[in-house]
Amino acid sequence: MSLRHALLLLVTPLAVGALVLAACASSTPAGPAPAFTLPEAPAIRITPLPPLPAELPPEAAFPSVADPAWEKLPAAQVALGKYLFFDDALSGDQKLNCATCHQPDRAWIDGLPLSVGYPGSLYFRNTPTLLNVGDKPLLYWDGRLDGNDLPTVIRDHIAEAHFMNADGLLVVERLNQKPQYAELFRAAYGGGPSYGRMLNAVAAYVGSLYSPPSAYDRYRAGEAEALSAQAQAGLALFEGKARCATCHSGTLFSDGQYHNLGLPQNPDIFDEPLRHITFRRFFRTLGVPDYSKLEVDVGRYALTQDNSDSGYFLTPALREVGRTAPYMHNGIFVTLEEVVAFYNAGGGESSELSPLNLTPAEQAALVAFLENLSGELVSVEPPEAPAYQLTILGGDQ
Amino acid sequence: MTRRNLIVLGLVAFVIVAGIVYMVVQQSRLPVELTGGLEPLPDVPIPPDNPMSEARIELGRYLFFDQRMSGDGSTSCAICHVPELGWGSGSAISPGYPGTSHWRNSQTVINSAYLPKLFWAGESLSLEKQAESAWTGNLAGNLDPAMAEERMRQIPEYVGVFEEVFGAPPNWGDALKAVAAFERTLVTQKVPFDAYAQGDRGALSAEALRGLALFQGKANCIACHNGPLFTDNSFHNLGVPRNPLYDSNINVQVALRYQHLSRGVPEEAYQAADRDLGLYYTTKREEDMGEFRTPPLRYVCYTAPYMHNGVLSTVEEVVAFYSAGGGDDPGKDPLMQPLDLTAPEQADLVAFLHSLCGDEIIIEAPELPPYAVISNR
Repeated sequence: MSLRHALLLLVTPLAVGALVLAACASSTPAGPAPAFTLPEAPAIRITPLPPLPAELPPEAAFPSVADPAWEKLPAAQVALGKYLFFDDALSGDQKLNCATCHQPDRAWIDGLPLSVGYPGSLYFRNTPTLLNVGDKPLLYWDGRLDGNDLPTVIRDHIAEAHFMNADGLLVVERLNQKPQYAELFRAAYGGGPSYGRMLNAVAAYVGSLYSPPSAYDRYRAGEAEALSAQAQAGLALFEGKARCATCHSGTLFSDGQYHNLGLPQNPDIFDEPLRHITFRRFFRTLGVPDYSKLEVDVGRYALTQDNSDSGYFLTPALREVGRTAPYMHNGIFVTLEEVVAFYNAGGGESSELSPLNLTPAEQAALVAFLENLSGELVSVEPPEAPAYQLTILGGDQ
Repeated sequence: MTRRNLIVLGLVAFVIVAGIVYMVVQQSRLPVELTGGLEPLPDVPIPPDNPMSEARIELGRYLFFDQRMSGDGSTSCAICHVPELGWGSGSAISPGYPGTSHWRNSQTVINSAYLPKLFWAGESLSLEKQAESAWTGNLAGNLDPAMAEERMRQIPEYVGVFEEVFGAPPNWGDALKAVAAFERTLVTQKVPFDAYAQGDRGALSAEALRGLALFQGKANCIACHNGPLFTDNSFHNLGVPRNPLYDSNINVQVALRYQHLSRGVPEEAYQAADRDLGLYYTTKREEDMGEFRTPPLRYVCYTAPYMHNGVLSTVEEVVAFYSAGGGDDPGKDPLMQPLDLTAPEQADLVAFLHSLCGDEIIIEAPELPPYAVISNR
């Protein structure tokens, strides 16, 4: 018998058997149904994640310029805030975090004329730096929130539909599912994650971001060669002929007041539908009548609804100004030269400014001075992000 | 003719007439009588404050498919209610908003017009309210109503249509009405069961007929799946096992635990978070734990997977689950008893369920009008 025959002999009964089985299967067999088994939960093995450092090196070991008596918050609160600052879990879709717009390597701004905001929308004002926020009495371009209450400012960012659009309890639940946070919160506050503690921690971190001393500070301290001759000329103009110091006063170079410079509107706010949507909704939620008919960004008016406040914005601080282009509340100027030229012309229509008649050399000197208001660039590394980890449901099983 | 012959003739005539009458009566009776209020669907109930019109329905169709009606502009209703997937998501657990997952199965929109309580635990009492919860829910649309209104007002076509339909600029309340009006058109038309209920004895196959008898008899499905929609609109605990995704998928787990946290269950229950507490989230009554609203059965062929957490993949599995008396849960409804259905009986039930489906309902997504510059300058 050949091998082929042997195989045939072997295979034929199998094939016939299979056919019979198939025939049986196609007509439903009588009798009890096979036992039904429920799907079982998979065995989940959880290896505890190593703890993360509860204290991190400070971003900038610099004290507040405005308040030399300033005391840092406990290092554990600042460190927890840093973990949170960089954590996508704080946004509705987990795609952005505070550093999306406040980028540490860009002096805590995004470098764009107008901030991007939450996906699906675009914001209509320029991202300000976080440096020295702890010293600012009022925050946002229209001064709508109190700088002494940073946790509320943080909450506004997390909850607001055009910023991070996240529900507070959902964020807390996400933090609960990142078990390394439990110890970080305990180290900072003596208890586990909560919305209030989270806001406080981010505020502690943001409030710790001070600009390092600048060449200007060294000059003030008596180091005459810290400023070039041109920059010194610029300083004299700043305080004299150019009258900058009228509003840009104090250690932060801001009077904390509102002014109208008659700035040109940024057309993108009106011509880019996604920005205009945010623009309209913003003024609407502040209760501005006829918000849909606004032709300009009315600034402070939105909060007071006093016509004389229309077009008024908070004087921005000038420290680190050389690194925070583009400029003004709507990012309309790309360089400091443009800004100085605008002031020199006496501002725009309806401005409270008047022409300065500065020579090109004087304008250049002013710019040189402004460039000396920045400290050393401090490099900031995002911390190792606390990781999600599954929970064994039902408790200890 | 003798008197006797007349009597015989009369008797014969009587028998023939009686026979004919008997046959006619038999003919009009269904082979399996319907009980439990099983009958064709009545007209769709229309709330007096949201009358139907073609323009309103059409606007609702646009909004249903418009992804800009979500926080990040990515997630329309149709992301979780896909027409080609039985108007559910086709997945055990509904996908949810980007960066999140839902923690329950996405239910079909078909025939939702008839439901007095929507969502698996009946949290919503009208289609309008359901749409609001879905659009704003942090795991669904994550949409701010004022943002939604301003977005719609930046779309000239919507501005025109809202004016025409509602005499107002685009607004949240009317958007909810439009979507609800659209959903009220999504109802099963004459399915084989309906034809049978109206006297067409041939509408159901022999298997389906046996299935119907089991449905109303030995399998006792009718205890809960009754009325024209095949639901008692009440809540029951079947001991449906936990979907393993609750254990293995971080976003599903966050969603389940977030539900515990945000609905304010006791700390102990939150710490365990070992199951979906269903009706309990709303009532906080122990006895309501794990209870879910009986889902309607029409269109069931297209809406796999099944149960509130999608843990059963096929209608066959569902029938086998019931035959085994459901799952294991201390709060299980006493109606859930082992049925010991044979394999042919289970197949017959499945055949009957298929008679409730009819043709698949597919609605094309419209081409959406774009944002436009609406400048006042």
